[in-house]
Amino acid sequence: MSARILLLLFAFHASSAVAAEADPLQSVMWEYHHKGLLNSEPYVFDERVQVQVPPFAEDSRQVPVHIDARALGDEVVRIEAFADLNPIPRIFTFTPGEQVVPLVAIRIRVQQATPIRAAVLTRDGVWHIGSARVDAAGGGCTAPSVVRAQAGWEDRLGEVVGARFPRGEFSRLRLQVSHPMDNGLVGGIPEFFLNQAELRDADGKVMAELELYPAVAENPNLSLEVKGGQETRLWLRDNNGNEFEAAF
Amino acid sequence: MRLFMLIFAFCMTLPVQAELSYTLQPRQIADGVWLLEGSTDNFDKRNGGNIVNTGFIVGDAGVIVIDSGPSRLYGEAMRAAISRVTDLPVTKVLLTHHHPDHVLGNQAFADVPIAALAGTTELLREQGNAMAENMYRLVGDWMRGTEVVLPNQTVAPGTLEVAGRSLRLLALRGHTGADLAILDERSGVLFAGDILFFQRALTTPNSPGLDVWLDDLTTLEALPWKRLVAGHGPVADDAEPFRQMRDYLGWLDGLLRDAARSGADMNEVIQSPIPERFAGISLTRYELIRSVSHLYPRYEVDALQRVDQ
Repeated sequence: MSARILLLLFAFHASSAVAAEADPLQSVMWEYHHKGLLNSEPYVFDERVQVQVPPFAEDSRQVPVHIDARALGDEVVRIEAFADLNPIPRIFTFTPGEQVVPLVAIRIRVQQATPIRAAVLTRDGVWHIGSARVDAAGGGCTAPSVVRAQAGWEDRLGEVVGARFPRGEFSRLRLQVSHPMDNGLVGGIPEFFLNQAELRDADGKVMAELELYPAVAENPNLSLEVKGGQETRLWLRDNNGNEFEAAF
Repeated sequence: MRLFMLIFAFCMTLPVQAELSYTLQPRQIADGVWLLEGSTDNFDKRNGGNIVNTGFIVGDAGVIVIDSGPSRLYGEAMRAAISRVTDLPVTKVLLTHHHPDHVLGNQAFADVPIAALAGTTELLREQGNAMAENMYRLVGDWMRGTEVVLPNQTVAPGTLEVAGRSLRLLALRGHTGADLAILDERSGVLFAGDILFFQRALTTPNSPGLDVWLDDLTTLEALPWKRLVAGHGPVADDAEPFRQMRDYLGWLDGLLRDAARSGADMNEVIQSPIPERFAGISLTRYELIRSVSHLYPRYEVDALQRVDQ
Protein backbone atom coordinates (compact mmCIF):
# COMPACT_ATOMS: atom_id res chain seq x y z
CA MET A 1 0.00 0.00 0.00
CA SER A 2 2.61 2.51 1.08
CA ALA A 3 4.83 1.34 -1.79
CA ARG A 4 2.07 2.21 -4.20
CA ILE A 5 1.81 5.70 -2.72
CA LEU A 6 5.54 6.10 -3.03
CA LEU A 7 5.36 5.02 -6.64
CA LEU A 8 2.58 7.50 -7.28
CA LEU A 9 4.58 10.26 -5.64
CA PHE A 10 7.59 9.30 -7.72
CA ALA A 11 5.54 9.38 -10.91
CA PHE A 12 4.16 12.82 -9.95
CA HIS A 13 7.65 14.22 -9.38
CA ALA A 14 8.94 12.71 -12.59
CA SER A 15 6.17 14.33 -14.62
CA SER A 16 6.81 17.76 -13.12
CA ALA A 17 10.52 17.34 -13.83
CA VAL A 18 9.98 16.96 -17.58
CA ALA A 19 7.75 20.06 -17.70
CA ALA A 20 9.65 23.10 -18.99
CA GLU A 21 11.20 25.64 -16.68
CA ALA A 22 8.98 27.80 -14.52
CA ASP A 23 7.67 31.15 -15.73
CA PRO A 24 9.89 33.84 -14.17
CA LEU A 25 6.80 36.03 -13.76
CA GLN A 26 4.70 33.17 -12.35
CA SER A 27 1.70 34.17 -14.41
CA VAL A 28 -1.45 32.06 -13.97
CA MET A 29 -2.04 32.42 -17.72
CA TRP A 30 1.34 31.21 -18.98
CA GLU A 31 0.36 27.58 -19.55
CA TYR A 32 -2.89 28.66 -21.19
CA HIS A 33 -1.13 30.91 -23.69
CA HIS A 34 1.62 28.37 -24.27
CA LYS A 35 -1.05 25.96 -25.37
CA GLY A 36 -3.30 28.40 -27.22
CA LEU A 37 -0.83 30.72 -28.92
CA LEU A 38 2.32 28.58 -29.18
CA ASN A 39 0.61 25.21 -29.79
CA SER A 40 2.39 23.71 -26.76
CA GLU A 41 5.62 23.75 -28.74
CA PRO A 42 9.03 23.64 -27.01
CA TYR A 43 10.16 26.88 -25.39
CA VAL A 44 12.81 28.46 -23.21
CA PHE A 45 12.71 31.68 -21.21
CA ASP A 46 15.52 33.59 -22.84
CA GLU A 47 17.00 36.89 -21.66
CA ARG A 48 18.26 37.56 -25.17
CA VAL A 49 14.70 38.45 -26.06
CA GLN A 50 14.31 41.91 -24.58
CA VAL A 51 10.89 43.23 -23.71
CA GLN A 52 10.90 46.81 -22.46
CA VAL A 53 7.87 48.41 -20.89
CA PRO A 54 7.61 51.21 -18.32
CA PRO A 55 7.31 49.90 -14.74
CA PHE A 56 3.78 51.32 -14.64
CA ALA A 57 1.28 52.43 -17.26
CA GLU A 58 0.75 56.17 -16.94
CA ASP A 59 -1.96 55.85 -19.60
CA SER A 60 -3.49 52.36 -19.82
CA ARG A 61 -4.73 53.18 -23.34
CA GLN A 62 -1.21 53.87 -24.67
CA VAL A 63 1.42 51.62 -23.10
CA PRO A 64 4.71 51.56 -25.00
CA VAL A 65 6.16 48.09 -25.65
CA HIS A 66 9.62 47.64 -27.16
CA ILE A 67 10.61 44.16 -28.31
CA ASP A 68 14.15 43.43 -29.41
CA ALA A 69 15.29 39.96 -30.54
CA ARG A 70 18.40 41.14 -32.39
CA ALA A 71 20.56 38.94 -30.14
CA LEU A 72 19.03 35.89 -31.87
CA GLY A 73 20.14 37.28 -35.23
CA ASP A 74 19.09 35.60 -38.47
CA GLU A 75 17.66 32.60 -36.62
CA VAL A 76 14.40 34.48 -36.00
CA VAL A 77 11.41 33.17 -37.94
CA ARG A 78 8.48 34.83 -36.20
CA ILE A 79 7.62 36.93 -33.15
CA GLU A 80 4.33 36.56 -31.27
CA ALA A 81 3.62 39.36 -28.78
CA PHE A 82 0.90 39.11 -26.16
CA ALA A 83 -0.27 40.47 -22.81
CA ASP A 84 -1.11 37.57 -20.46
CA LEU A 85 -4.01 39.14 -18.58
CA ASN A 86 -5.63 41.24 -21.29
CA PRO A 87 -9.16 40.42 -22.47
CA ILE A 88 -7.55 40.51 -25.94
CA PRO A 89 -4.11 39.08 -25.20
CA ARG A 90 -2.63 39.07 -28.70
CA ILE A 91 -0.73 42.17 -29.81
CA PHE A 92 0.97 41.24 -33.08
CA THR A 93 2.56 38.49 -35.13
CA PHE A 94 5.72 39.67 -36.88
CA THR A 95 7.52 37.75 -39.62
CA PRO A 96 10.67 39.68 -40.56
CA GLY A 97 12.36 38.78 -43.83
CA GLU A 98 16.12 38.84 -44.16
CA GLN A 99 16.21 42.59 -44.88
CA VAL A 100 14.27 43.41 -41.70
CA VAL A 101 15.56 43.48 -38.12
CA PRO A 102 13.68 41.49 -35.41
CA LEU A 103 12.72 44.61 -33.48
CA VAL A 104 9.30 46.18 -32.99
CA ALA A 105 8.15 49.11 -30.86
CA ILE A 106 4.40 49.60 -30.55
CA ARG A 107 1.79 50.95 -28.10
CA ILE A 108 -0.96 48.83 -26.64
CA ARG A 109 -3.97 48.94 -24.34
CA VAL A 110 -3.93 47.10 -21.02
CA GLN A 111 -6.96 46.29 -18.92
CA GLN A 112 -4.98 45.58 -15.74
CA ALA A 113 -1.41 45.00 -14.55
CA THR A 114 -0.05 42.21 -16.73
CA PRO A 115 3.03 40.39 -18.00
CA ILE A 116 3.93 41.37 -21.57
CA ARG A 117 5.53 38.59 -23.66
CA ALA A 118 7.50 38.27 -26.82
CA ALA A 119 7.71 34.67 -28.04
CA VAL A 120 10.38 34.41 -30.71
CA LEU A 121 10.38 31.29 -32.89
CA THR A 122 13.81 30.31 -34.21
CA ARG A 123 14.65 28.03 -37.13
CA ASP A 124 15.18 25.03 -34.83
CA GLY A 125 11.48 25.17 -33.83
CA VAL A 126 12.01 26.50 -30.31
CA TRP A 127 10.19 29.51 -28.88
CA HIS A 128 12.41 31.95 -26.98
CA ILE A 129 10.33 33.86 -24.46
CA GLY A 130 11.11 37.36 -23.23
CA SER A 131 8.90 38.89 -20.53
CA ALA A 132 8.30 42.11 -18.64
CA ARG A 133 5.61 43.19 -16.24
CA VAL A 134 3.72 46.47 -16.38
CA ASP A 135 1.71 47.75 -13.42
CA ALA A 136 -1.49 49.61 -14.29
CA ALA A 137 -4.63 51.20 -12.90
CA GLY A 138 -6.11 49.51 -15.96
CA GLY A 139 -9.26 49.99 -17.95
CA GLY A 140 -7.42 50.77 -21.19
CA CYS A 141 -9.32 48.18 -23.24
CA THR A 142 -12.79 49.43 -22.28
CA ALA A 143 -12.08 53.17 -22.12
CA PRO A 144 -14.09 55.34 -24.56
CA SER A 145 -12.33 56.02 -27.84
CA VAL A 146 -10.29 59.21 -27.96
CA VAL A 147 -10.15 59.17 -31.76
CA ARG A 148 -13.93 58.92 -32.16
CA ALA A 149 -14.39 61.95 -29.89
CA GLN A 150 -12.49 64.10 -32.41
CA ALA A 151 -14.60 65.70 -35.11
CA GLY A 152 -13.71 64.63 -38.65
CA TRP A 153 -11.75 61.52 -37.63
CA GLU A 154 -13.29 59.60 -40.55
CA ASP A 155 -11.62 62.00 -43.00
CA ARG A 156 -8.25 61.31 -41.46
CA LEU A 157 -8.66 57.53 -41.45
CA GLY A 158 -5.53 55.88 -42.77
CA GLU A 159 -3.40 59.00 -42.77
CA VAL A 160 0.18 58.04 -41.97
CA VAL A 161 2.88 60.29 -40.56
CA GLY A 162 6.35 58.82 -40.50
CA ALA A 163 10.03 59.23 -41.11
CA ARG A 164 13.18 57.23 -41.66
CA PHE A 165 16.00 57.62 -39.13
CA PRO A 166 19.49 56.33 -39.93
CA ARG A 167 20.92 54.00 -37.26
CA GLY A 168 24.35 52.88 -38.38
CA GLU A 169 23.95 50.27 -41.12
CA PHE A 170 20.21 50.11 -40.43
CA SER A 171 17.42 52.60 -40.70
CA ARG A 172 14.55 52.89 -38.31
CA LEU A 173 11.11 53.51 -39.73
CA ARG A 174 8.74 55.27 -37.37
CA LEU A 175 5.12 55.85 -38.21
CA GLN A 176 1.71 56.59 -36.79
CA VAL A 177 -1.52 55.68 -38.55
CA SER A 178 -4.82 57.44 -37.91
CA HIS A 179 -7.21 54.64 -37.00
CA PRO A 180 -9.54 54.08 -34.00
CA MET A 181 -8.55 50.38 -33.61
CA ASP A 182 -11.96 49.59 -32.10
CA ASN A 183 -11.68 46.33 -30.20
CA GLY A 184 -15.38 45.54 -29.78
CA LEU A 185 -15.21 45.98 -25.99
CA VAL A 186 -16.62 49.52 -25.93
CA GLY A 187 -20.43 49.61 -25.92
CA GLY A 188 -22.13 49.87 -29.30
CA ILE A 189 -18.95 49.98 -31.39
CA PRO A 190 -18.04 46.79 -33.30
CA GLU A 191 -14.49 45.68 -34.05
CA PHE A 192 -12.82 47.97 -36.56
CA PHE A 193 -9.05 47.70 -36.60
CA LEU A 194 -5.97 47.41 -38.76
CA ASN A 195 -5.19 43.71 -38.90
CA GLN A 196 -2.62 43.37 -41.67
CA ALA A 197 0.53 45.20 -42.66
CA GLU A 198 3.41 44.48 -44.99
CA LEU A 199 6.73 46.17 -45.56
CA ARG A 200 7.56 46.00 -49.27
CA ASP A 201 10.54 47.03 -51.33
CA ALA A 202 10.38 49.33 -54.36
CA ASP A 203 9.43 46.37 -56.60
CA GLY A 204 6.55 45.37 -54.35
CA LYS A 205 8.33 42.32 -52.92
CA VAL A 206 7.33 41.61 -49.31
CA MET A 207 10.14 42.32 -46.82
CA ALA A 208 8.16 41.63 -43.62
CA GLU A 209 4.63 40.73 -42.57
CA LEU A 210 2.86 42.09 -39.53
CA GLU A 211 -0.51 40.91 -38.26
CA LEU A 212 -2.10 43.27 -35.75
CA TYR A 213 -4.74 42.56 -33.12
CA PRO A 214 -6.96 45.10 -31.37
CA ALA A 215 -4.86 45.12 -28.20
CA VAL A 216 -2.87 47.66 -30.24
CA ALA A 217 -3.69 51.21 -29.15
CA GLU A 218 -5.66 53.77 -31.13
CA ASN A 219 -3.69 55.59 -33.81
CA PRO A 220 -1.10 52.78 -33.93
CA ASN A 221 2.44 53.98 -33.41
CA LEU A 222 5.08 51.65 -34.77
CA SER A 223 8.87 51.47 -35.07
CA LEU A 224 10.62 48.90 -37.30
CA GLU A 225 14.20 48.63 -38.55
CA VAL A 226 15.40 47.62 -42.00
CA LYS A 227 18.86 46.89 -43.31
CA GLY A 228 20.32 49.50 -45.63
CA GLY A 229 18.63 52.61 -46.99
CA GLN A 230 16.55 51.27 -49.87
CA GLU A 231 13.10 52.68 -50.51
CA THR A 232 10.50 50.96 -48.36
CA ARG A 233 6.74 50.95 -48.70
CA LEU A 234 4.19 50.10 -46.06
CA TRP A 235 0.86 48.51 -46.96
CA LEU A 236 -1.97 48.34 -44.40
CA ARG A 237 -5.44 46.84 -44.39
CA ASP A 238 -8.20 46.93 -41.75
CA ASN A 239 -10.87 44.32 -41.07
CA ASN A 240 -13.37 46.34 -43.14
CA GLY A 241 -11.13 45.99 -46.19
CA ASN A 242 -9.82 49.57 -46.29
CA GLU A 243 -6.27 49.63 -47.68
CA PHE A 244 -3.67 52.31 -47.03
CA GLU A 245 -0.14 52.83 -48.31
CA ALA A 246 2.85 54.89 -47.25
CA ALA A 247 6.38 55.30 -48.57
CA PHE A 248 9.63 55.88 -46.70
CA MET B 1 -1.96 25.47 26.12
CA ARG B 2 -2.35 28.68 28.07
CA LEU B 3 0.63 30.09 26.19
CA PHE B 4 -0.96 29.05 22.93
CA MET B 5 -4.18 30.84 23.90
CA LEU B 6 -2.19 33.95 24.76
CA ILE B 7 -0.44 33.91 21.40
CA PHE B 8 -3.76 33.40 19.71
CA ALA B 9 -5.32 36.30 21.59
CA PHE B 10 -2.36 38.50 20.67
CA CYS B 11 -2.71 37.61 16.99
CA MET B 12 -6.38 38.53 17.11
CA THR B 13 -5.45 42.07 18.09
CA LEU B 14 -2.99 42.57 15.19
CA PRO B 15 -5.45 43.18 12.35
CA VAL B 16 -6.96 46.11 14.23
CA GLN B 17 -5.27 49.04 12.55
CA ALA B 18 -4.25 52.20 14.28
CA GLU B 19 -6.66 54.96 13.32
CA LEU B 20 -5.31 56.99 10.42
CA SER B 21 -4.67 60.63 11.18
CA TYR B 22 -2.69 63.42 9.56
CA THR B 23 -0.50 65.33 11.95
CA LEU B 24 -0.82 68.76 10.42
CA GLN B 25 1.31 71.45 12.08
CA PRO B 26 0.58 74.91 10.65
CA ARG B 27 3.74 77.01 10.47
CA GLN B 28 3.56 80.78 10.39
CA ILE B 29 5.61 82.05 7.46
CA ALA B 30 4.54 85.71 7.53
CA ASP B 31 2.14 87.96 9.44
CA GLY B 32 -1.15 86.07 9.35
CA VAL B 33 0.12 83.64 6.72
CA TRP B 34 0.32 79.94 7.60
CA LEU B 35 1.70 76.95 5.76
CA LEU B 36 0.97 73.22 6.02
CA GLU B 37 4.01 71.72 4.35
CA GLY B 38 3.77 68.24 2.87
CA SER B 39 6.59 65.90 1.95
CA THR B 40 8.22 65.76 -1.47
CA ASP B 41 7.47 62.02 -1.78
CA ASN B 42 5.02 60.27 -4.04
CA PHE B 43 1.46 59.32 -3.04
CA ASP B 44 1.72 56.39 -0.70
CA LYS B 45 -0.31 54.41 1.81
CA ARG B 46 2.13 55.60 4.48
CA ASN B 47 1.71 59.34 3.88
CA GLY B 48 -1.99 59.48 3.03
CA GLY B 49 -1.21 61.70 0.10
CA ASN B 50 0.16 64.48 2.31
CA ILE B 51 2.74 65.45 -0.29
CA VAL B 52 1.35 68.88 -0.96
CA ASN B 53 1.65 72.39 0.44
CA THR B 54 -1.57 73.99 1.56
CA GLY B 55 -1.96 77.22 3.46
CA PHE B 56 -4.28 79.75 4.98
CA ILE B 57 -4.28 83.48 5.55
CA VAL B 58 -5.84 84.92 8.68
CA GLY B 59 -7.41 88.23 7.65
CA ASP B 60 -9.09 90.84 9.83
CA ALA B 61 -12.52 89.29 9.47
CA GLY B 62 -11.95 85.67 8.54
CA VAL B 63 -9.68 83.01 7.15
CA ILE B 64 -8.85 82.37 3.49
CA VAL B 65 -7.86 78.76 2.78
CA ILE B 66 -5.55 77.98 -0.12
CA ASP B 67 -6.13 74.39 -1.37
CA SER B 68 -7.89 71.73 0.68
CA GLY B 69 -5.53 68.76 0.40
CA PRO B 70 -5.76 65.18 -0.89
CA SER B 71 -8.68 63.70 1.08
CA ARG B 72 -11.72 64.41 3.20
CA LEU B 73 -9.71 63.37 6.25
CA TYR B 74 -7.00 65.89 5.36
CA GLY B 75 -9.56 68.66 4.85
CA GLU B 76 -11.06 67.94 8.27
CA ALA B 77 -7.63 67.86 9.91
CA MET B 78 -6.75 71.12 8.17
CA ARG B 79 -9.89 72.83 9.42
CA ALA B 80 -9.19 71.60 12.95
CA ALA B 81 -5.63 72.93 12.67
CA ILE B 82 -6.94 76.33 11.55
CA SER B 83 -9.27 76.49 14.54
CA ARG B 84 -6.29 75.91 16.84
CA VAL B 85 -4.66 79.04 15.36
CA THR B 86 -7.61 81.42 15.24
CA ASP B 87 -11.22 81.74 16.32
CA LEU B 88 -12.11 83.57 13.10
CA PRO B 89 -14.34 81.65 10.69
CA VAL B 90 -13.16 80.35 7.34
CA THR B 91 -14.70 82.73 4.80
CA LYS B 92 -13.34 81.43 1.51
CA VAL B 93 -11.44 78.56 -0.03
CA LEU B 94 -9.29 79.26 -3.09
CA LEU B 95 -8.19 76.30 -5.23
CA THR B 96 -4.99 76.73 -7.21
CA HIS B 97 -5.89 73.98 -9.72
CA HIS B 98 -7.93 70.80 -10.12
CA HIS B 99 -5.38 68.10 -9.22
CA PRO B 100 -6.55 65.66 -6.54
CA ASP B 101 -3.91 66.46 -3.91
CA HIS B 102 -5.11 70.09 -3.90
CA VAL B 103 -8.91 69.77 -3.95
CA LEU B 104 -10.14 66.50 -2.45
CA GLY B 105 -10.40 68.01 1.05
CA ASN B 106 -13.23 70.25 -0.19
CA GLN B 107 -15.88 68.28 1.72
CA ALA B 108 -14.56 69.73 4.98
CA PHE B 109 -15.35 73.22 3.65
CA ALA B 110 -18.74 72.47 2.10
CA ASP B 111 -20.35 75.30 4.17
CA VAL B 112 -17.89 77.90 2.80
CA PRO B 113 -17.67 79.45 -0.69
CA ILE B 114 -15.11 77.44 -2.67
CA ALA B 115 -13.65 79.49 -5.50
CA ALA B 116 -11.51 78.61 -8.51
CA LEU B 117 -10.80 79.65 -12.06
CA ALA B 118 -13.60 78.65 -14.46
CA GLY B 119 -11.22 76.26 -16.23
CA THR B 120 -10.36 74.55 -12.95
CA THR B 121 -14.02 73.79 -12.22
CA GLU B 122 -14.47 72.44 -15.75
CA LEU B 123 -11.42 70.17 -15.49
CA LEU B 124 -12.50 68.93 -12.07
CA ARG B 125 -15.96 68.16 -13.45
CA GLU B 126 -14.39 66.14 -16.29
CA GLN B 127 -11.58 64.37 -14.45
CA GLY B 128 -12.40 64.56 -10.74
CA ASN B 129 -14.01 61.15 -10.24
CA ALA B 130 -11.33 59.29 -12.19
CA MET B 131 -8.60 61.09 -10.25
CA ALA B 132 -10.31 60.34 -6.93
CA GLU B 133 -10.57 56.65 -7.86
CA ASN B 134 -6.88 56.57 -8.65
CA MET B 135 -6.15 58.17 -5.28
CA TYR B 136 -8.02 55.35 -3.53
CA ARG B 137 -5.73 52.95 -5.40
CA LEU B 138 -2.59 54.86 -4.42
CA VAL B 139 -3.19 55.79 -0.77
CA GLY B 140 -6.00 53.44 0.26
CA ASP B 141 -7.95 53.93 3.48
CA TRP B 142 -6.90 57.54 3.96
CA MET B 143 -9.36 58.34 1.18
CA ARG B 144 -12.35 56.76 2.91
CA GLY B 145 -15.48 58.88 2.45
CA THR B 146 -13.77 61.26 0.01
CA GLU B 147 -15.87 62.60 -2.85
CA VAL B 148 -15.36 65.34 -5.38
CA VAL B 149 -16.94 68.68 -4.42
CA LEU B 150 -16.93 71.20 -7.26
CA PRO B 151 -16.17 74.89 -6.62
CA ASN B 152 -19.27 77.06 -6.31
CA GLN B 153 -17.63 80.42 -7.09
CA THR B 154 -15.54 81.55 -10.02
CA VAL B 155 -12.61 83.92 -9.63
CA ALA B 156 -11.01 86.00 -12.35
CA PRO B 157 -7.51 87.47 -12.47
CA GLY B 158 -7.16 90.78 -10.62
CA THR B 159 -7.33 91.95 -7.04
CA LEU B 160 -9.60 90.11 -4.64
CA GLU B 161 -10.53 91.85 -1.39
CA VAL B 162 -11.54 89.22 1.12
CA ALA B 163 -11.68 89.15 4.91
CA GLY B 164 -9.84 92.46 5.04
CA ARG B 165 -6.94 91.14 3.01
CA SER B 166 -5.98 92.12 -0.50
CA LEU B 167 -4.97 89.23 -2.77
CA ARG B 168 -3.60 89.55 -6.28
CA LEU B 169 -4.87 86.65 -8.42
CA LEU B 170 -3.15 85.47 -11.57
CA ALA B 171 -4.62 83.09 -14.13
CA LEU B 172 -1.83 80.96 -15.57
CA ARG B 173 -1.87 77.81 -17.74
CA GLY B 174 1.47 75.99 -17.77
CA HIS B 175 0.75 73.14 -15.32
CA THR B 176 -2.89 72.23 -16.05
CA GLY B 177 -4.33 74.84 -18.41
CA ALA B 178 -6.02 76.62 -15.47
CA ASP B 179 -3.59 77.54 -12.71
CA LEU B 180 -4.27 80.17 -10.07
CA ALA B 181 -1.40 81.94 -8.32
CA ILE B 182 -2.10 84.08 -5.28
CA LEU B 183 0.01 86.97 -4.03
CA ASP B 184 -0.83 88.25 -0.56
CA GLU B 185 -0.15 91.98 -1.02
CA ARG B 186 0.43 92.71 2.67
CA SER B 187 3.07 90.06 3.36
CA GLY B 188 4.46 89.52 -0.13
CA VAL B 189 3.93 85.76 0.17
CA LEU B 190 3.32 84.21 -3.24
CA PHE B 191 1.33 80.98 -3.31
CA ALA B 192 2.45 79.79 -6.74
CA GLY B 193 0.44 76.56 -6.82
CA ASP B 194 2.01 73.89 -8.99
CA ILE B 195 3.47 76.42 -11.40
CA LEU B 196 6.37 76.04 -8.96
CA PHE B 197 7.78 72.73 -7.82
CA PHE B 198 10.92 73.01 -5.68
CA GLN B 199 13.24 70.06 -4.93
CA ARG B 200 10.49 67.83 -6.30
CA ALA B 201 10.10 66.84 -9.94
CA LEU B 202 7.30 68.65 -11.72
CA THR B 203 4.27 66.77 -13.09
CA THR B 204 2.80 67.22 -16.55
CA PRO B 205 -0.46 65.27 -17.00
CA ASN B 206 -2.48 68.30 -18.19
CA SER B 207 0.24 70.70 -19.30
CA PRO B 208 -0.58 72.53 -22.55
CA GLY B 209 3.16 72.71 -23.26
CA LEU B 210 6.46 73.41 -21.57
CA ASP B 211 6.82 76.70 -23.47
CA VAL B 212 3.57 77.95 -21.90
CA TRP B 213 4.90 76.95 -18.50
CA LEU B 214 8.16 78.82 -19.06
CA ASP B 215 6.19 81.99 -19.92
CA ASP B 216 4.21 81.64 -16.68
CA LEU B 217 7.45 81.53 -14.70
CA THR B 218 8.46 84.87 -16.21
CA THR B 219 5.09 86.36 -15.25
CA LEU B 220 5.33 85.10 -11.68
CA GLU B 221 8.93 86.05 -11.08
CA ALA B 222 8.18 89.67 -12.05
CA LEU B 223 5.67 90.04 -9.19
CA PRO B 224 6.71 91.90 -6.01
CA TRP B 225 7.01 88.70 -3.95
CA LYS B 226 9.09 88.37 -0.80
CA ARG B 227 8.56 84.69 -0.03
CA LEU B 228 7.69 81.80 -2.33
CA VAL B 229 5.40 78.91 -1.54
CA ALA B 230 5.68 76.22 -4.20
CA GLY B 231 2.89 73.68 -4.62
CA HIS B 232 5.41 71.06 -3.57
CA GLY B 233 8.70 71.57 -1.75
CA PRO B 234 10.21 73.96 0.79
CA VAL B 235 9.54 77.69 1.15
CA ALA B 236 12.13 79.99 -0.45
CA ASP B 237 13.07 83.64 -0.02
CA ASP B 238 15.15 83.86 -3.17
CA ALA B 239 14.60 83.06 -6.84
CA GLU B 240 16.15 79.58 -6.63
CA PRO B 241 12.83 77.79 -7.30
CA PHE B 242 12.44 79.79 -10.53
CA ARG B 243 16.00 78.99 -11.58
CA GLN B 244 15.52 75.29 -10.85
CA MET B 245 12.18 75.17 -12.70
CA ARG B 246 13.63 76.84 -15.81
CA ASP B 247 16.65 74.56 -15.79
CA TYR B 248 14.51 71.43 -15.43
CA LEU B 249 11.84 72.45 -17.95
CA GLY B 250 14.54 73.41 -20.45
CA TRP B 251 16.27 70.06 -20.00
CA LEU B 252 13.01 68.10 -20.34
CA ASP B 253 11.98 70.04 -23.46
CA GLY B 254 15.40 69.52 -25.09
CA LEU B 255 15.49 65.83 -24.16
CA LEU B 256 12.10 65.14 -25.73
CA ARG B 257 12.85 67.18 -28.86
CA ASP B 258 16.25 65.54 -29.45
CA ALA B 259 14.82 62.08 -28.81
CA ALA B 260 12.01 62.63 -31.33
CA ARG B 261 14.47 63.92 -33.93
CA SER B 262 16.68 60.87 -33.48
CA GLY B 263 13.74 58.48 -33.90
CA ALA B 264 13.72 57.18 -30.32
CA ASP B 265 10.85 55.07 -29.01
CA MET B 266 9.14 55.96 -25.70
CA ASN B 267 10.87 53.16 -23.79
CA GLU B 268 14.25 54.46 -24.91
CA VAL B 269 13.41 58.02 -23.81
CA ILE B 270 12.28 56.80 -20.40
CA GLN B 271 15.76 55.38 -19.81
CA SER B 272 17.59 58.61 -20.68
CA PRO B 273 20.24 59.66 -18.17
CA ILE B 274 19.12 62.37 -15.73
CA PRO B 275 21.76 65.10 -15.23
CA GLU B 276 23.71 64.98 -11.99
CA ARG B 277 22.66 68.55 -11.15
CA PHE B 278 19.09 67.31 -10.58
CA ALA B 279 20.18 64.69 -8.03
CA GLY B 280 18.68 66.74 -5.17
CA ILE B 281 15.24 66.79 -6.78
CA SER B 282 13.01 63.93 -5.67
CA LEU B 283 11.20 61.58 -8.06
CA THR B 284 12.90 62.69 -11.28
CA ARG B 285 12.92 59.20 -12.86
CA TYR B 286 9.33 58.50 -11.87
CA GLU B 287 8.12 61.81 -13.28
CA LEU B 288 10.20 61.40 -16.45
CA ILE B 289 8.34 58.13 -17.12
CA ARG B 290 5.04 59.96 -16.66
CA SER B 291 6.06 63.03 -18.68
CA VAL B 292 7.17 60.90 -21.63
CA SER B 293 3.68 59.41 -21.68
CA HIS B 294 2.04 62.87 -21.48
CA LEU B 295 4.25 64.92 -23.75
CA TYR B 296 6.31 62.76 -26.09
CA PRO B 297 3.49 62.12 -28.60
CA ARG B 298 3.44 65.86 -29.46
CA TYR B 299 7.19 65.98 -30.01
CA GLU B 300 6.97 62.80 -32.10
CA VAL B 301 4.35 64.20 -34.43
CA ASP B 302 6.51 67.31 -34.91
CA ALA B 303 9.37 65.07 -36.06
CA LEU B 304 7.26 63.07 -38.56
CA GLN B 305 5.79 64.03 -41.95
CA ARG B 306 2.86 62.79 -43.99
CA VAL B 307 4.02 59.70 -45.87
CA ASP B 308 0.73 58.15 -46.99
CA GLN B 309 -0.05 58.05 -50.71
